[in-house]
Amino acid sequence: MIITQKKDRKELLENVKGYRSFFLLGCSECATLCGTGGQEQLDELKGLLEGEGRAVAGAFVAKTGCQVLGTKVELKKFKEELGKADCIIVMSCGAGTQSAVEMFEDKAVYPANDSMFLGNMTRLQMFDERCSLCGECILDKTGGICPVTTCPKGILNGPCGGTKDGHCEVSAEIPCAWVRIYERMEKTGRLEEFKAGTLAAKDWSASVKPRKLTAREEKKK
Amino acid sequence: MSFQEALNSGKFVVTAEVGPPKGTDIAALHHDIDILKDKVDALNVTDNQSAVMRICSLAICRIVLEHNAEPILQMTCRDRNRIGLQSDLLGADVLGIRNVLCMTGDHVLAGDHKGAKPVYDLESVQLLTAVDSLNNGRDMAGNGLKGGTHFFQGGVVTPEANPLAPQLAKFEKKIRAGAKFFQTQAIYDIDKFKEFMTFARRFPVKVLAGFVILKSAGMANFLNKNVPGIRVPEDLINELKAAGKEKALETGMDIAARHIRRLRDENICDGIHIMAIGMEDKVPVIMRKAGLL
Ligand code: SF4
Ligand code: SF4
Repeated sequence: MIITQKKDRKELLENVKGYRSFFLLGCSECATLCGTGGQEQLDELKGLLEGEGRAVAGAFVAKTGCQVLGTKVELKKFKEELGKADCIIVMSCGAGTQSAVEMFEDKAVYPANDSMFLGNMTRLQMFDERCSLCGECILDKTGGICPVTTCPKGILNGPCGGTKDGHCEVSAEIPCAWVRIYERMEKTGRLEEFKAGTLAAKDWSASVKPRKLTAREEKKK
Repeated sequence: MSFQEALNSGKFVVTAEVGPPKGTDIAALHHDIDILKDKVDALNVTDNQSAVMRICSLAICRIVLEHNAEPILQMTCRDRNRIGLQSDLLGADVLGIRNVLCMTGDHVLAGDHKGAKPVYDLESVQLLTAVDSLNNGRDMAGNGLKGGTHFFQGGVVTPEANPLAPQLAKFEKKIRAGAKFFQTQAIYDIDKFKEFMTFARRFPVKVLAGFVILKSAGMANFLNKNVPGIRVPEDLINELKAAGKEKALETGMDIAARHIRRLRDENICDGIHIMAIGMEDKVPVIMRKAGLL
């Protein structure tokens, strides 16, 4: 999921100080799991804004904020509230914020969160980055552990000289990705494969931005 | 005799290093090069060591050449993508630089520009592959070059890495990628290093043992605590401690000379890489003590 963090509230209030009436838009998926865009956070921000004497015309937690069409349909029933608001504050990830920008051409849209990374929830509201969407997955060659993401240098062929007792030179809190990969390859009987292979430099043209994908197959006539 | 010829001649080779300064005043650097140049077989020039921004290694390598000494261009993958690295390698070749040491490089978080974007488009193994390709007249994309490079390329290895097995696997990958020589992270436990060399001797590569001059017990403890892959054994720390403040550096140099003698006399490895880190004038002293001068 996309991991988000609340922007500093003082900074947020400063960003939107020129507006009088707001509509708050959350998201029931990642942002809710991250505690940044669920009902509770919407209520909290509503209270904050109203405490400052600003009006909150409406608030809604969209099912999937990055799903543009679906969110548009869901928001139909808030036509009146949205009409009153001169600013929409989006409490999801940067993608959700831009769904709103696309939907409301002539209304100000502001983000309430910082989008951090694609991660896994390891415990309640604790997240680890595991994949950086490089566009050319090599997990098949690295025992299922991603060095592009979990090694701070993105090394592809084994540990650097910075490994210290199995930890990374960058921080003792990070287990060295290449020690993990080596151990996993060993446990799964793939050590020879690891030793024999050298991974070539990645083809970063697979992640030139902005990326676009059409997954649906056009129906044959 | 070039560095490569020296290694192939079977003599016990000595390399030292100079660190480019932060700023354009290179008077001290000229001085260090002059102290070292006739004593050692080659001089490493570090590449923004510890990710601290300084003069580029390439320019200082050229200055080393102008002193009639032989430079080893250290190249890390931290600050340049594959275009920048290959372009600098071509530039190094036309400036007459013949030795290159390929490394991944300390992370920017270790340095003085923590907000910099780390590049790591390549890493050490892939950089070695790139050098090999340039030597054979092709760039990484397979394009033909109008004139290839002439590098004698090497890598680094950490014999004290914990765990060791993944490090050794990478060592082999570097050799397959074209590394001809290795300079190791500083080693102080010769018996343990001998075990590493038994492994390394299976491959057709030259190995220079790394050594950082110890100037006090405090420094040894600092290395143990803060530098991954360095382990100064307790008995050496006690020896430094026993020497007292006044005599600690002298003892550190004696330890260095003793180690070098043993590495050479027992034919354990092909040479020594002395990292003086600000004590360049001590390198000839140590060499004399070790009977190398
Ligand atoms: S290699 Fe890593 S970053 Fe690339 S797609 Fe696979 S998991 Fe994601
Ligand atoms: S210590 Fe391991 S995880 Fe950290 S940068 Fe080096 S190889 Fe990558």
